[in-house]
Amino acid sequence: MKNISWVAVGPLAVLLTAVAVLLTVEVLTRPRRRVWYAIAGAALLVALVLSVIQFGRASDGISSGGQGVAVSQHFSEMLIADPFAAVASVVLILIAGGGMLLAIPLIAEQGRKGAEFIALVLVGLSGLILMTNTTHLLLLFLGLEVASLAFYVLAGFSRRHPESDEAAVKYFLLGSLASAVFLYGAVLAYAATGTFSLLRASNFLESVVVLRPGVLLVGIGLMVVGLGFKVSAAPFHMWAPDVYQGAASGIAGFLSAAAKTAGFAALARVLMQGFDRHQPDWAPALGVLAAISIVVGTLLAISQTDIKRMLAYSSVSHAGFILTGMVAGGGGLRSVWFYLITYAAQVLVAFGVVAVVSGGSSGKAALADYSGLASRSPFLAAVLTLMMLAMAGLPLTTGFIGKVAVFEAAIEADYLWLVIVGVTSAVAGLFFYLRVVVLMYMSAPALAEAPGAAPAHLEPSPASRLALTAGAAVTVAFGLVPQRLLEVAGDALLG
Amino acid sequence: MMDFPLLSALIWLPLAAAVVVLTLPEQRRELVTPVAFGASLIEVGLAGYLVATFPRGEAGFGFGERRQLISDLGVEYHLGVDGISLFLVALTALLVPLCILASRNVERARPFMAALLAMEFGLVGVFLALDLLLFFVFFEVILVPMYFLIGLWGGERRVYAAVKFFIYTAAGSALLLASIVFLASQAGEGLTFDFTRLVELDLPIATQRWLFLGFGLAFAIKVPIFPFHTWLPDAHTEAPTAGSVLLAAVLLKIGTYGLLRFNLELFPQVAVDWGPLLAGLGVVGIIYGAVVALVQPDIKRLVAYSSVSHLGFVVLGIFAFTSSGMQGGVLQMVNHGLTTGTLFLMIGMMYDRWHTREISAYRGLQGIVPLMAGSFLFMALASAGLPGLNGFVGEFMVLIGSYPSRGWLAVVAAAGVLLAAAYLLWAYERMFTGEAGSDRHPDLSPTEIGILVPIVALVLFLGIYPKPVLERIQPAADRILERLAEVPGFEPPLQVEAE
Repeated sequence: MKNISWVAVGPLAVLLTAVAVLLTVEVLTRPRRRVWYAIAGAALLVALVLSVIQFGRASDGISSGGQGVAVSQHFSEMLIADPFAAVASVVLILIAGGGMLLAIPLIAEQGRKGAEFIALVLVGLSGLILMTNTTHLLLLFLGLEVASLAFYVLAGFSRRHPESDEAAVKYFLLGSLASAVFLYGAVLAYAATGTFSLLRASNFLESVVVLRPGVLLVGIGLMVVGLGFKVSAAPFHMWAPDVYQGAASGIAGFLSAAAKTAGFAALARVLMQGFDRHQPDWAPALGVLAAISIVVGTLLAISQTDIKRMLAYSSVSHAGFILTGMVAGGGGLRSVWFYLITYAAQVLVAFGVVAVVSGGSSGKAALADYSGLASRSPFLAAVLTLMMLAMAGLPLTTGFIGKVAVFEAAIEADYLWLVIVGVTSAVAGLFFYLRVVVLMYMSAPALAEAPGAAPAHLEPSPASRLALTAGAAVTVAFGLVPQRLLEVAGDALLG
Repeated sequence: MMDFPLLSALIWLPLAAAVVVLTLPEQRRELVTPVAFGASLIEVGLAGYLVATFPRGEAGFGFGERRQLISDLGVEYHLGVDGISLFLVALTALLVPLCILASRNVERARPFMAALLAMEFGLVGVFLALDLLLFFVFFEVILVPMYFLIGLWGGERRVYAAVKFFIYTAAGSALLLASIVFLASQAGEGLTFDFTRLVELDLPIATQRWLFLGFGLAFAIKVPIFPFHTWLPDAHTEAPTAGSVLLAAVLLKIGTYGLLRFNLELFPQVAVDWGPLLAGLGVVGIIYGAVVALVQPDIKRLVAYSSVSHLGFVVLGIFAFTSSGMQGGVLQMVNHGLTTGTLFLMIGMMYDRWHTREISAYRGLQGIVPLMAGSFLFMALASAGLPGLNGFVGEFMVLIGSYPSRGWLAVVAAAGVLLAAAYLLWAYERMFTGEAGSDRHPDLSPTEIGILVPIVALVLFLGIYPKPVLERIQPAADRILERLAEVPGFEPPLQVEAE
């Protein structure tokens, strides 16, 4: 094996070791929950530090004015250490950390199974990191499957609820199909280029004129479809509402944010690193997917009566906005990263609020439960309002800067029609985002006299409060002063 | 020129005050209104200083501030003020403390005052921003506090009105955003949202047309120009008093200000081509608003429709493309802000006493509250354009300025003046004259008199001696006209001096 690098493989090694330690300790000593959290927290922290170091090293070439990126490949070209990979790791680890904080009440409810839950989150995270840190299509597939399997189980974790089982089965069936489609695409790409390595494929396409690119284009197309499933881009979004609604509220935010971030990162790497020369072929296809996602997501979100389904459809439309930035190819990467990072924070926090209001393990979360939330918990109502405004793209939030950035990228790439679809749908989107705000502030609380009525006052746990405050702070701070985050996003270049 | 960043202070002071108001400890809640009022008074002082020190005869932008904000996207923190924005800022600063006074007994004062101050932040920012994205940010920021003001403190159909207001305005602003980003990408190397650089672009005429539409639609909804006015009566009627005042007096002006500043200066060719059409729509608005106002049974709705009519004069003045028309249009923006804002304030005072907005529910108030009746009549006459009061100067200048270039349109518009007198005086007659039929309530309190005195003084001042204001508006208006005159095919109409 060539080029062994402990920093490159560090986050993965730490996370998987933590999983082993956690499960062993759990079996042998049956410790208190605090021990689980300590192990997981320490692992996430170390992995985060390693990833930040990796980013510092890889982006040295950029900040010192040197051209390009310090890329190193490790383990026989299996892992790549470029700024893109490092940023993906950092973001995914932060999402997992936030997701875990929000899931603490849910974990506490699971009794001894809580350790498995934490282990599954860490396994899923390492799969996602692997997915974004490799240029080898088979390893990418491996990461995708590791993460997906963990996610299927997480979606169905609270087995007491039938809808949770339903969510898991649907997620599993459609997710496996998507994985298979992706694998088929990867194999066709191999057939056309003779390699699974994206860098080698790119070199091959530089030096050879492919006279009959049909096989290659079908391969690229199938990979886009497979990853399109994972990021819930329309028309491959059918699973998202059912899964997000059925999955426990405490974990749905993590499932959504992490899958989207890693899925888009992998998609960007495949298309822009491996098949950059075929951008004229894939960019229009992405543009069409983007438009369909934005329109379908927005229209279907309007008629939802369950806030989790609404958030799921809204995430479909956000997938469309991210694709809007992607049609610009490498030039749109900065906007894609900015949007991904900030949207991940928004969706985590939004589901986090849902987890507090509707209960961490619950499946359904009727919108009616949110009427008068402002009087039951001003904090939660204010945070959810901020997230709704950010998702709607109002200024002084990250949502606005993200939209401006992707629109700018698309206009530069001559996709003005897509921008017009985007802004018009953003207006229609206001309707359902505002409806939540209206319910929370302008309707009387749904305080039925009946047993099981909602409690008069809601208090999030300290961990939830911390995660929600942090997410809200990110949303406002980078909405006001986005320059620093835009620079980081701009540095997250592919090797 | 000056080290003290006056414009930044004007923008950020209200926001800082809003934060202070929100974070005041619970046991100190009685301080909420005094703090908000105090901050808004300081703002008045700053705005007064700005007006006093703004050089006469200055055509360009003064008090400039400029620094990089988001260099990766080409966004700058670029502020400046010219003779047009100067008085709109002053108007905003003047009205906010009066609104606070008028809302001193509001429930849940803390969020209410914070929303008012946050709105002042956006309103002042909109008029001072010279970076298009910064402008858009302020433009959108205003929506949120306004939405809450209507939705939380409004009348019976408040939620409907709030959502309708939000969706209408946001629909316009979506196109505005797309147009702004597209325009910024046309600047050649990299993005720039800098107004002063974008003005110098020479875009193909087809591009200019689309962009004019994108900008124009957003502003036309905001003004509102007929036929985009349907959100206005609902929002005005359902909003609480302070909300109606700011909505009518300042928010609508963002539309006309945007047309004047951006559509005319950025796309002069299209503005010249389509000027007659827009002037025509302005006149349709004048007549339509007046006729509909005539038949309203609800006094607040009546004043709301009168706004559609008055703003039509502003649009006509702007698209007359003559110096006195444009000056009259700008002056009319300020006038309408003062008179209509005050009418809404007075309707609020009446509502506090009788709890109804139905014209037919009032009868013979003259005998019950003579001071209030007198003030209402004074403001109604100012609004209707009685010579000697401010409304006359603006409307007269618009009419005299638009006759040379727009001919019969000006003649039709003149009928709007008559109609305004009709609907306002008829409403006065029905509500205030006759036998005293309404319940007895005390006349204006000292605070209410305090609210009205500065406005009455300004209305008289602008009506008798508008020269100091016009002197500052004229250079900026002439600058825009010079820009239009560069357009091939633009024939400068015969100038009529309105002195």
